Amino acid sequence: MSDSESDANYFKEVVAEIEAEAQRRSSSGEYPRALLRSLDEEFRRWIPDASLENGVEDTIRSIEAAAYVDPAVPTSSKSPLGRCVKWAVRRLTYFYHRHVTQQITALGIHITRPLRLLDASLKSVNRRLSALEDRLDVDAAARSELLVGISISSSFDEFSEVLGQHFNHVSGRVLVGDLPNAQLLKSLRNEGVDAYGVASSDTPIQETVDVRHEHLFDHLGDLANQSLGGFILCGIPDYGSVNEQLRALRLLLLRSKPGASVAVIVLHPETWRKRLSPVATDLLHGRPMHTETWSYLLSREGASNIRVAESSDSSCCLITASLL
Amino acid sequence: MTGVHQLVPTISPRDAVGNHTLALREVIRELGFDSEIFSMFRHPELMTDTHYVDRLPPDADVVIYQLSIGSPVAERWAQHSGLKIANYHNITPISLVGKWDGLLAAEVQLGRDQMARYAERCDHAICDSDFNKSELDELGYTSTETIPVLFDVTDAIPDPSALAKLERNRRGTQVLFVGRVAPNKAHHDLVAAVRTLRELHDDAHLHFVGTDGPPGYRKVVETIVTHAGMRDHVTFHGSVSQEELVAHYLSADVFCCLSDHEGFCVPVIEAMHHGLPVVAFDCTAVGETVGDGGLLLKDKNPLTVACALHRIGSDSGLAQRLRVAGHERAKFFDRTTTRERFSQYFSSLLRSL
Repeated sequence: MSDSESDANYFKEVVAEIEAEAQRRSSSGEYPRALLRSLDEEFRRWIPDASLENGVEDTIRSIEAAAYVDPAVPTSSKSPLGRCVKWAVRRLTYFYHRHVTQQITALGIHITRPLRLLDASLKSVNRRLSALEDRLDVDAAARSELLVGISISSSFDEFSEVLGQHFNHVSGRVLVGDLPNAQLLKSLRNEGVDAYGVASSDTPIQETVDVRHEHLFDHLGDLANQSLGGFILCGIPDYGSVNEQLRALRLLLLRSKPGASVAVIVLHPETWRKRLSPVATDLLHGRPMHTETWSYLLSREGASNIRVAESSDSSCCLITASLL
Repeated sequence: MTGVHQLVPTISPRDAVGNHTLALREVIRELGFDSEIFSMFRHPELMTDTHYVDRLPPDADVVIYQLSIGSPVAERWAQHSGLKIANYHNITPISLVGKWDGLLAAEVQLGRDQMARYAERCDHAICDSDFNKSELDELGYTSTETIPVLFDVTDAIPDPSALAKLERNRRGTQVLFVGRVAPNKAHHDLVAAVRTLRELHDDAHLHFVGTDGPPGYRKVVETIVTHAGMRDHVTFHGSVSQEELVAHYLSADVFCCLSDHEGFCVPVIEAMHHGLPVVAFDCTAVGETVGDGGLLLKDKNPLTVACALHRIGSDSGLAQRLRVAGHERAKFFDRTTTRERFSQYFSSLLRSL
């Protein structure tokens, strides 16, 4: 074995030891979890709100800065003679350059003014849209209060085998979210699927699986388009508003590669109605959509091989499909 | 004489792509070809040594385009009738810069669009890394080859005053990262890792060397540093001279790179050359640049990174092996070796001209 190979093996062993130590410390609670979470939250708080906000404004500001043309042409040169000649030419032509640059600057201002108006108008539309979305829905606190005790995690096990087969030959990572517990993820990983979870619940999932503790929409907002090999949408179809369900599906489809395998796990609407109190039934706008609706939505997005399976107690359903 | 010219959006003497372009011109000239550089924005120091893009001879036999950002210069290259070669240095994905810098976002988007559009027009492509090559292969580029970027590892004499200052203030493990303060370089993750290291193990100080990137990101990292109570334990050194840079490499205990996206990562090689142990997050081209010369982590959870930094800081045997292995790895990217590879590539490609 060469020195290089021996080093490479040794470094791999060291990395494995480091990972084991990190795992041990994490399990034993020797981990400033609260501190790191607060750092993460602080970072997220300051990330600019995508290109629709600061991005457009920054771009306009940059155009405005670039639209100012300096009529004083640089006169630096390697030779003193060259510098003198350039200086003399600049003095002689300054009136001309100033005249031209003033017109270019004026043109720049005239171009950026309508852009500023459009930007202001776009921001106004966004504000009104957010306000409208808020009015359409019961607020988040009331929603979680009304949904206490609703869970579909018990039925996940039944779908493990079907899901394992469905995602077996997927190229790329499979996102599972919004994850209520690690069981589904574990069984997928046991089947050899490169899956990871996104869990927005406040209780961290302790199991040794790859789970991101953040809101699904935040996570999807950070992913690049066509970066996922597939997805399993769960949780949100049971308790999200219709807006949220449709938004989650739209974002997941955008982030999935062509040919990706997809799945949706959803409570049966009848089960939902039975489990909820009359107050929640009346106040919540969102409720699980029928499997026919999910099949329709997926087929409208060009998905093929759409199949529906029902759990043995008929409490929930699994819809699987492949994207074109 | 056969003309083998280069097109580059911007040429500057203290910039990785600029240095590479200038070095490549010498390689091509040594092979007996006429070679000039044409650019839209030229640094004042290179005005007499380079030409404005409009002066590109329409009858040039070969036109090499240095692709690293979107630019109208790419259109000139694509329209040219000569043999077209792209030298790809990677373009940062818009998802990593879009939120921070609208203008840069527009440029990288244009760059990615142009890259996809010109796949059929490009005759040959040279890529800094296999990671870059895989991006072009995926877009349908034919005849792609990986040859690292041409660069000189600085062997300047370390600035004695900078060295003395760093040694004087030395407390605990000294962690160094060199690179633009940009979101894809993930400075915020380094702050979290070193904060964890301080929490769990020992005193540590984080040194950032590099100019500011997209507006706002440096401010956010500083906010996080304050929030983490690390104001006395993180230093932003900004842009430094070559002598100061060497002083940083020599006085640090470990070089740590947690970047989310790198097309090559020259500072890793510089650190290895100066005998600094390297620990890096294995993503994009970082893994293949580090190779067997450093510790490659599969995830950059702050706890894992902190454990890695502590291990290097406390295990002198491991640190020594990393120094030796890193130094060996850096030799692979030695300028003479890379020049030879470029020379062989062009002499074989242009033999028929």
